[in-house]
Amino acid sequence: MTVLDQLSSGTMYLICGAIVAFVAVVCVIFLVRAWRAGKAMGMDTARMKQAVTASVTFSILPSVGILLGVIALSGSLGIPWPWLRLSVIGALHYETQVAQAAAEQLGSTLSGDTMTADAFSTIALLMSVCIMWGMILISIFGKKYLARLSRGKENKAGSEKPSFADKAMTAMFIGMVSAYLGSYIGALISGEGRFTFRGDWTPLLVAAVAALAMAGFTALSEKKRMRWLDGFSIAASMLLGMAAAVLAHL
Amino acid sequence: MTNNAKTPYDDYLRATHRLGRIVSCVTLILLLGAPFLMGSYLGALPNLGAAARGFLAVGLVWTVSSVVEFLVYTPMLGAGGSYLAFITGNLINMKIPCAMNARDMVGAKSGTAENEIISTLSIAASSLVTILVLALGVLLLTPLRPVLSSPALQPAFNNVVPALFGAMAYMYYRKDIRLALIPLAVMAVLFTLLPSLTGSTSFMIIPSGALAIGLSWLKFRKEAKA
Repeated sequence: MTVLDQLSSGTMYLICGAIVAFVAVVCVIFLVRAWRAGKAMGMDTARMKQAVTASVTFSILPSVGILLGVIALSGSLGIPWPWLRLSVIGALHYETQVAQAAAEQLGSTLSGDTMTADAFSTIALLMSVCIMWGMILISIFGKKYLARLSRGKENKAGSEKPSFADKAMTAMFIGMVSAYLGSYIGALISGEGRFTFRGDWTPLLVAAVAALAMAGFTALSEKKRMRWLDGFSIAASMLLGMAAAVLAHL
Repeated sequence: MTNNAKTPYDDYLRATHRLGRIVSCVTLILLLGAPFLMGSYLGALPNLGAAARGFLAVGLVWTVSSVVEFLVYTPMLGAGGSYLAFITGNLINMKIPCAMNARDMVGAKSGTAENEIISTLSIAASSLVTILVLALGVLLLTPLRPVLSSPALQPAFNNVVPALFGAMAYMYYRKDIRLALIPLAVMAVLFTLLPSLTGSTSFMIIPSGALAIGLSWLKFRKEAKA
């Protein structure tokens, strides 16, 4: 039994499925409570129903996009863990990046070929630790923060005016992306000896195809008003980039 | 529907915070416990040292991101919506636009009781759809596993990370291409001159991110003065 077989075994489905089921129950509880509270406050049930229906229809296509993310990660982490992470709490761009960072600390890469049980459990732990802060912050500070906002003392968060915080976030992600793209360029030029240009060019090709695909999806979304593509664009661009790797190695 | 004291809405909010804290705490325990449970099944518990080093490399970036998300999205989503959104994830790519869409559709405004109810309904419904679609998808995926693990497809799965960063590069570089070129050039030169750094790429996010933020700050100051 290979590690990937173990990662997609019944026990793993049971562990991950139980957590997904717990979160599904939480969603139902919040939904029913909000519905009852809305009715008790005299809100129009037709409007509440409209909000639920709109949200259901809005979410179907992006959810299929998220499913593509599960497929993308399943080759290295098995199916159940990416299923759990992308059903609950996670997001594709976050999960992949953190998993890669954890693999690096173990001297490995995010790949089915090199995945070991040690690497997997460490990757899974780091994925959980890195993205728990939103839940912690809302639990500790959420009540006071919302109370202060409702008193009108702090309205900057909802402001439309651009602040340095927005720009800093963009810059932070630019820095993150640049580190990885820089490493692919360096690996191509000096991966097999400094300035020999005999290193692996596949990552650069894959990144270029994914970027081009993303550009195409963005253009269709913005210029052709195909906004529904937004929910698919990252996952579909990744799959196209990954397909380029397969074609390049035929 | 005002927020004055001792209305049924106040009771609802208080109970929502209590419930939200409890389920967040339970979810946290489940998500942190799962790697250990899976590790004991696999016969390999997580390497805490490696996880700590990984956290220093990338966790700090995501911690800052979480703080910003908390500050920005909580007022938009209200209490119930925020607890659910932070538990169920996929905020930027789905939950936020979904809740905003529902809110605009019924004309609810931020900070109102209507917004609180509509956001919660919207995010709960959206999360349930994702859970259902993924569960059905995974059921269909399972028979395809031998195909997905075939040697011919391994180059694809070995390049998940470059594919992600290619897509993200377009997303973020287009926001400020001039800013992006400098850290990219610096990183490319560094990795070319010191190829051994490739094994520590996630650590290089820190200087690269610091450089990009520094350049962004200089530009922001310049624009503010102009």
